[in-house]
Amino acid sequence: MSVSAEPIACQECGQLHRYRPVAPGKTANCSRCGAVLYRNRPNMLDAVLALTLAGLTLFVLTNVFPLLGLRAQGAEQELHLLGASLAFWDQGYPILAGLIILNIIVFPLFELLTLLVVVLTIRYRWRSNMAIFLFRWMRELKPWGMLEVFMLGVLVAVVKLGDLATLIVGAAFWSFAGLILTMAAATALLDPFSVWRALEKKHG
Amino acid sequence: MAEHGALLQCRVCSHLSHPPRQLKRFEVMHCPRCGARVKFAQQSNSVEVTWALLIAAAILYIPANMLPIMSVYMLGAGQPDTIITGVYHLLEAGQWPLALIVFVASIVVPLLKLFTLSFLLISIQRRSRWRQYDRMRLYRITEYVGRWSMVDVFVIAILVGLVQFGNLARVDANLGSLSFAAVVVLTMFAARTLDEHLIWDITRQEEQQNA
Ligand SMILES: [Zn+2]
Repeated sequence: MSVSAEPIACQECGQLHRYRPVAPGKTANCSRCGAVLYRNRPNMLDAVLALTLAGLTLFVLTNVFPLLGLRAQGAEQELHLLGASLAFWDQGYPILAGLIILNIIVFPLFELLTLLVVVLTIRYRWRSNMAIFLFRWMRELKPWGMLEVFMLGVLVAVVKLGDLATLIVGAAFWSFAGLILTMAAATALLDPFSVWRALEKKHG
Repeated sequence: MAEHGALLQCRVCSHLSHPPRQLKRFEVMHCPRCGARVKFAQQSNSVEVTWALLIAAAILYIPANMLPIMSVYMLGAGQPDTIITGVYHLLEAGQWPLALIVFVASIVVPLLKLFTLSFLLISIQRRSRWRQYDRMRLYRITEYVGRWSMVDVFVIAILVGLVQFGNLARVDANLGSLSFAAVVVLTMFAARTLDEHLIWDITRQEEQQNA
């Protein structure tokens, strides 16, 4: 396949372009709407791998330690990430509990594991069927992972409860903040176009 | 989804592929690269499905705002809060930045989403060529901000999980929170099913006719 003639279409507006290699660190943009078509990032895979491993570590820490604690009249209540997801369950709203588990535990974990598989597949030239399947669903499910929205919820709750009782910010709060930053960095760094091309080359 | 003469673009991985010569009306084509479903413009039901989701969301928007979303009990006494009374209590307590966040995320964003998506659908159905670039930007913004409406549902989850001190202080979830979450989910699906490339299709068809 000749590299220069490959037609590509803008993801945003559908405008047709021809693929032309760009210099390292540079970006190709759509001529009609200006959206990024693809980037040339020399060390993208290593950086994403490092961020993914850090993210998985932070994910485990976030789920192990309590997120918030509340002390009122001698009694104390702790909240873990899973506890927050299951709060609706105890109130008789299993569908809502399920939705929240998907938003803040299942989809973020799925995203991290997919990134790991995709990066390793490209790096070690494994067969790419699995990586293609995972990456496609990760892209489709991306809006449903809502860690940063949940974090805003935590902040709102913290301010709301501030006057009521003594609030303890748990260890998981900080690993959670780190996890959000790590995943945002990985998303910003990853160029989907390069990933799809790399996955495609290994397997028809 | 978008057609380029003979080429079809996958919405998930943007791969371009040739459609089969003959495709029956309800036959499905999968992207050769990522396996996602690729639809033809003439068999696209994007507009109809998006309308259906939007109408369902608009109907559920009423109980979401009328019914209480949670109840706060202090020393045995308390009352249920709807979204708007919750915002009002925050204002009363002088926490106006918080009131603003909740008001925008829970009331403004869902309403704007309902209106914006309806506007985009109507403009697509009228084959409008008016400010296509701006309309696409509008779509992107609408698609992006929708998920932030979930913040109120998360706040309820955190309060319900954390404030369980029996008669001393307790927070319970109410039915309004379920309707509200349903509105968020439905409008997120609606934004997803709306094929934004339809905004450009009218120009593309004319370009092809003139070519
Ligand atoms: Zn595809």
